[in-house]
Amino acid sequence: MSNTVILSWTTFIYLAVFAFYLIRMISGKEFWGRLGTVTALIGLSAHTAALILRWIASYQMGIGRVPLSNFYESLIFFAWSIMALYLIIEWRTKNRSLGTFVVPVAFLCMAFASLSPNISNRIQPLIPALQSNWLASHVITCFLGYAAFTVAFASGLMALLKGMERGKFSPDDSADKIDADSPPTHFQRFIRHIPEPGILDELIYQSAALGFVFLAIGIMTGSIWAHYAWGSYWSWDPKETWSLITWLVYAILLHARYVRGWRGKRMAIMAIVGFICVLITYLGVNYLPGLHSYQ
Amino acid sequence: MKLAIVLLVLISVASILGTLIPQQEAAGLFISRLSPGMADFLRGLQLFNIFHSAWFMVLLGLLALNLIVCSLDRFPMAWKRFSQKNEPDRDDLFETIPPDQMVVKETSITEETSRLEKLLGKKGRVGRKDLDDRSYLYAEKGAYSYFGVYLIHISVLVVMAGFIVGFLFGFEGYMNIPEGESSTVVTLKRGKGAKKLDFAIRCDRFFIDFYENGAPKTYRSDLTFMQDGRAVQSASVLVNHPVTYAGMRFYQASYGMIPAGDTIMNITQGDKKIKDVQVAIGMEFDLPEKKATAQITRVEENLMGMGPAVKLNIRSPAGNFQFWVFEAIEQIAQANPGLLEQVPLFNPGAFKPYVFSLGHVDRRYYTGLQVAQDPGVPVVATGAGLMMIGFIIVFFCSHRQIWIRLDRKADKTRISIAGKSNRDAVGLKRDIRKLLDAAKPKEGSAI
Repeated sequence: MSNTVILSWTTFIYLAVFAFYLIRMISGKEFWGRLGTVTALIGLSAHTAALILRWIASYQMGIGRVPLSNFYESLIFFAWSIMALYLIIEWRTKNRSLGTFVVPVAFLCMAFASLSPNISNRIQPLIPALQSNWLASHVITCFLGYAAFTVAFASGLMALLKGMERGKFSPDDSADKIDADSPPTHFQRFIRHIPEPGILDELIYQSAALGFVFLAIGIMTGSIWAHYAWGSYWSWDPKETWSLITWLVYAILLHARYVRGWRGKRMAIMAIVGFICVLITYLGVNYLPGLHSYQ
Repeated sequence: MKLAIVLLVLISVASILGTLIPQQEAAGLFISRLSPGMADFLRGLQLFNIFHSAWFMVLLGLLALNLIVCSLDRFPMAWKRFSQKNEPDRDDLFETIPPDQMVVKETSITEETSRLEKLLGKKGRVGRKDLDDRSYLYAEKGAYSYFGVYLIHISVLVVMAGFIVGFLFGFEGYMNIPEGESSTVVTLKRGKGAKKLDFAIRCDRFFIDFYENGAPKTYRSDLTFMQDGRAVQSASVLVNHPVTYAGMRFYQASYGMIPAGDTIMNITQGDKKIKDVQVAIGMEFDLPEKKATAQITRVEENLMGMGPAVKLNIRSPAGNFQFWVFEAIEQIAQANPGLLEQVPLFNPGAFKPYVFSLGHVDRRYYTGLQVAQDPGVPVVATGAGLMMIGFIIVFFCSHRQIWIRLDRKADKTRISIAGKSNRDAVGLKRDIRKLLDAAKPKEGSAI
């Protein structure tokens, strides 16, 4: 089976994972959560296998190169990073509610890659500028960073939702009140499955810090590559500039937390602003002139 | 600190503007659409060259200054935490420990203390204090982790310094060298003029290779560096594989064809070659057999979509003749049967007995090299390295302190363990857990 066919199927598997996690949060039945995790593991395995097959296929075509070198492959790898990072976090924190917010991002990447008519899924040989050993390390570090920022973004969304619902009750006795009164609505049950703000804060911070380090390494490897390919390690190309802006936004987030003690809603908003910068760095700059445009 | 965040926000906003407003060479079209007053106003604000503008440099400078001041301000505190002597006998710490951080054993205090001291010794600095009825042990590791954040801040300053060094002492430019020719002049970027090198670079060959689908596969220039007309070093430059010579790096940046002009016109009579003429407007030559003189009156790169062509005006006793000579006459004649007979203007054999044809336009390539010298690169690289070490210290190292108290309780030795960590509570718990496991009596031994 061809790698693109497997990847199309993986897209639907991730949609199912999202649905299972969502049903778990609404129904409150842990069965759906376990089903979601198992399905996600199957999806990620298929995804990994497809990446390897694609790599092998490129060698059989006689052009042998890592499957990380055009827009299609970058979307696929972005989704892979998101799912892999999410499953590690789920395993470490034993909490599945994050999946409801993270998995749809991976699904959207896959769907965009598979369905958009402007994105070619063909394996094409590398143009001279991409023929570098730095390609793989640059792309991998950048997208692991993006994946971590995606987790921070999802945690930020959860924190905002949680904050909205808690705002309706006095902060301390919200849980008791729901229990005492009529049975909870689906939405209330959904909100109650979101972890406590303290845990979300920690998740935002840790994933933002992880992304910050990976993006820093990504910028460094990119600079080294540019030094060999373009004759200058930094040329203020729009993508370079936006990656720096993104890095600065997360630097602000981390400093605001360390030194000014920002927590809760402010951190959540910073995580969302940071993710918007990530999207501009990744997708938006293609509409600006520069050296980095995907072909 | 507030100022630092404001500066970071300002730098971000300026950078965003720098990606939205066309910069430098790209700004021309944008400026032409503005009113002159507006264009001058924006130019005055250096908005078309933000990243090299004075005010952007001032922002970066202020950030650097802020970093230095904040670091100096906070450093004494970190130093105090790093160097402070922690007393082993801190009874206050043991008041709040959970009961599962205590172990009771039959063995003597001295025996246990020595055993635990050895165990702690593997991890870092150990302090010990023995009183009459009890002993204390203290161990810590990773106190240096307080400095990680300063290392990151210093690394940012080092990167900035490298950037300035490159800005002041480096240069960037390009040179186009036709195959077989040599050059000594680098045209500098950003309109900074030209730089004459004290050596010459000869392009021996430019080579381009394509994949089956037509995408480029390889661009390569074979270069020879010449000193006083003598070849010193030969090297091939490929994309991603620059060559260094005399402290400068040479990159394969672009390529192109030499503009037409070296076209040759061949004149034949039957099978006999009469002469070759260098094609240039105004060029005249004689056609002795007919007592005629021919002049090239026009040279076209691409006439009516049919490729290069040259117009001839022939003056002879029999009258004046004008016609075009196409380079691709064979293909044109094949595609348009009967054309040459119907349109004498396109017939290169119209002036008998001569036949005129164009020799292939000289397809010599030129290679476009980018030339760069940046003494700031090693500085920036050092900064990046320091930043990585800083990240490792900040995110993977922590200061962990452990206190152990051993005292007598009901004729037994009671071991209590307390701990502190500046950022890794989980790691500390794990360390304490390991110590407890080691301190616990072995299974099967008498209790």
